[in-house]
Amino acid sequence: MRWLRVFALRVAGLFAKSQRDREFAAELDGHLQMHIDDNLRSGMSAQEARRQALLKLGGVEPTKEIYRERRGLPLLETVLQDLRYAVRTLRKNPGFTLIAVLTLALGIGANTAIFSMVNALLLHPYNFPELDRLVRVWENRGIDEGADARFIAPQDAADLLSGTPVFDALTTYKCGDFNVSAEGNVQPVLGCHVSANFFDVLGVGPALGRAFRASEEQPGADQVAVVSYGFWQRRFAGDAGLLGKTIQMNGKKYAVVGIMPRGFDYPVPMELWVPLGLSPSEKTDRAKLSLESLGRLKVGVTVAQARSAADSVSQRLQHEYPTTNENRRTEVLQLRRELYLYTLPLFLLLQAAAIFVLLLACANLANLLFARIVGRQKEIAVRTALGAGRRRLARLFVTETLLLSCIAGGVAVAVSFWSVKVLRTSIAPSWTMWVPGWDGIQVDRTALGFTVLLIAVVGFLFGLGTVLHSGQALPYATLKEAGRGPMLGSKGRLRSALVVAQVMFALVLLVCAGLTTQAFLRLVDVYQGFQAANVLRTEIRLPEKSYPENSQIASFYDRVLRGSASLPGASAAVLVTNSPASNVDNETTFFTINGRPAVKASEAPSADLQISSPDYFSVLRIPLVAGRAYSYADNANAARVAVISRSMAARYWPDGDEVGQQIKLGAADSKEPWMTVVGVAEDVRQNWWNPTSRPTIYEPFFQAPKRSMVFLMRVASNPAGYASGIRELVRGIDDQIALTGVGTLEKEITDSIAIIRIMGVLMALFGCVALALSSVGVYGVLAEGVARRIPEIGVRLALGAEPRDVMKFVLGQAVKLTGIGLVIGVPIAFAVNRAMSSLIFGIVSINLLLLAGFTLLLLLVALAAAYIPARRAMRVDPIVALRYE
Amino acid sequence: MAQKKDVWQGTLALMVLKTLDTLGPLHGYGIARRIEQTSGDLLAVNYGTLYPALLKLEQEGYISSEWGVSDNNRKAKYYKLTRAGKKQLEREARDWEQTTAIVARFLAPGEEVS
Repeated sequence: MRWLRVFALRVAGLFAKSQRDREFAAELDGHLQMHIDDNLRSGMSAQEARRQALLKLGGVEPTKEIYRERRGLPLLETVLQDLRYAVRTLRKNPGFTLIAVLTLALGIGANTAIFSMVNALLLHPYNFPELDRLVRVWENRGIDEGADARFIAPQDAADLLSGTPVFDALTTYKCGDFNVSAEGNVQPVLGCHVSANFFDVLGVGPALGRAFRASEEQPGADQVAVVSYGFWQRRFAGDAGLLGKTIQMNGKKYAVVGIMPRGFDYPVPMELWVPLGLSPSEKTDRAKLSLESLGRLKVGVTVAQARSAADSVSQRLQHEYPTTNENRRTEVLQLRRELYLYTLPLFLLLQAAAIFVLLLACANLANLLFARIVGRQKEIAVRTALGAGRRRLARLFVTETLLLSCIAGGVAVAVSFWSVKVLRTSIAPSWTMWVPGWDGIQVDRTALGFTVLLIAVVGFLFGLGTVLHSGQALPYATLKEAGRGPMLGSKGRLRSALVVAQVMFALVLLVCAGLTTQAFLRLVDVYQGFQAANVLRTEIRLPEKSYPENSQIASFYDRVLRGSASLPGASAAVLVTNSPASNVDNETTFFTINGRPAVKASEAPSADLQISSPDYFSVLRIPLVAGRAYSYADNANAARVAVISRSMAARYWPDGDEVGQQIKLGAADSKEPWMTVVGVAEDVRQNWWNPTSRPTIYEPFFQAPKRSMVFLMRVASNPAGYASGIRELVRGIDDQIALTGVGTLEKEITDSIAIIRIMGVLMALFGCVALALSSVGVYGVLAEGVARRIPEIGVRLALGAEPRDVMKFVLGQAVKLTGIGLVIGVPIAFAVNRAMSSLIFGIVSINLLLLAGFTLLLLLVALAAAYIPARRAMRVDPIVALRYE
Repeated sequence: MAQKKDVWQGTLALMVLKTLDTLGPLHGYGIARRIEQTSGDLLAVNYGTLYPALLKLEQEGYISSEWGVSDNNRKAKYYKLTRAGKKQLEREARDWEQTTAIVARFLAPGEEVS
């Protein structure tokens, strides 16, 4: 502990210096006087006595100096000195400081924000313990079933669990609408039938009450429910007495046994969970892929191991049950990967772009520092001549760059927090609630710290590097040359290389930005198969209890359609099961073609099924390719008909004889009625992630009524203004029915690709930043080069050179540097483009016009950046310039 | 040079402590003279180097100081051994004796061989 006392005293020694100095001077004075007295006594002359005393002491000032070093902390004192000096120089050059700080803050801030988002969404989408052990398990029938069809047959799931050693547990579930009655009011809520171990597998139990018991999986014992925190708060105002009470759902009474903690929403934001009570025959079913499934892997089991274990079970089942399981394979995918299958490449692209921006920022910082050091050659020379060692100089410059990094780091922290906040609030909560992990986005402190540290290291290295570099110049030579020409050779090359790199980075970033933006625009174009303008959209759900019969459903919707037709300005209204761009996949179904029955259930073809009322094609302006659309005449009493999509017709009737053919839903043995194909409609892309339009069967609503429908109405203008009209209309028919998701179809489309739009905007932003950074870099190098050449230019002008030639020379330099950067950048841009188009859906090969545009843009920016120093060079007064010599 | 200085600074502290132990409170000049006399003028070092050593010992708490008046009426700062200083002196003296004994034994046979 003694060193602590010493340290404290030495720190104290930093203060009240003059008083301490005076005290020591007095002590020394006493010392000398005593020595002189002794010397006098031994017979020396007064002068000699004093001389000898001083000699013996070793001089007054040197003694004071070594004493002071011991008294305080010399290292700390020089650091403080350097810091004061650094603050002074930075304040003297506000332009430099501002650009350097902004550059760095932007680079760090962008990186931190993007990394924070990617980290939250990709690595921690859910708060489940040991998330990496959770896998989604489903069966693939070897046919294209649409993107989200990830289901498994109940008996296959049971065989998978018992037949492989890889799973700790496997849970199955099935989600759907529940109609909750409360005070005579029926409301549809989203819920899930789950096997009893569901919450155990996820590793999250109820906050209040209990989870399900295994005995509650039996039909009859399954009338218990666990509700979500939101459901509890909204419907029961957080009533602590809810446990044990019953709620009325789908005409049955369920006892509430548990309440989940806040924020638990799996598979999607849910209101409640009830046991999956399968009957014995349902349990042993292999034919229908009816359940979703989630497994928890045993500790230490990899996804690859699980996959191969599941594969061997699938093969055994294929052998044993060829009628149902032929071609069926089991897929295993990590839960957190499943979520971002479509958007992962976009996230990675953003991250790569952010890293590029950081690299650009570093190159820019290096450039700025070089420019400054070159400008301070003379100062360094003077300091060296006055006896400053290279170490001391290095410390000075390193302190300066470190200070710069620290300021930039501080600003970057603010930028990071701000940009994460902007990112989080830029998408409506009604959409982000479906994005697991979105609420968990916050500034990643590790990433932030790492980036700031990185910048500090870069600053340190450049500070050191520049000093070591300039230290090679002999002080007298520098002083004589006054910071001109010769010693800049290698540094000039290095700086030019940095500019070339910046131009290259900027081009690649701009191209990436352009491609992403283009992809976004194309995604908007994806929904061009129909016209969304002037269409109002809402969802209507009828409770099963009050509408048990098809005829009741049909008459309710018939009244809605008739009523809406009488609204002023409304041209037509339709019902459809799923409107385009809803970000929900269509229901898929098997179908059988009359005369071409599939031999086995596994070989039945599948298609999307859309049920719509007549006029669907005319309301959305979907062109008919062949035949006719169905009309109100095709009702429950008429012969069953269907319209199919163009891609379906092309796939199954390549000869074009589809109209008049008969199809039915389900496999060959299904009891569904045969439907006659009466028409072919143009393809419509359902969701942006579907690579192509899927084969679709359209069935007339009045021949196959459903309770939950999307209502679409085309009006003359201002569709949003019809919302209240529709609400009143529906209330007039049945005041128990509430509309959900009322809005315009156009807004629905915009919202559905919000995440892509944000990425496009971010990429465009990165492109602009890249452009700005590289122009600052080009400008810095050229301006400094011109400043260095002022005497030379003066001589040339004095000797009769035209100002135009000077201008040409400076601009030529800019064109040269930028040109090299572009020549290197173009092939890289092509390579990046190839990589991107293979990874990211919607990105196509580069538009040559776009590339040429960006190249030209960068060249123009470089010329503009060179123009300012060039003009300054032209204005050089020869007399003034020559005086430098 | 550097080595000689290191030895000097290491042993100087011991000499200062011993001097103060023997003579009681004393000013810097007195300590310097005493060390010089005891060492038989073999250690011809600047008196000035004594002062950082005194300051270090004081920072470490082995000595304390206060202003006083010398025999011939000069104002001087008097240094005095503290209790910690006494202990430190014993410790250092013991270490020193051990070291010298080892070095002496080490050197003795070498002389015989040559």
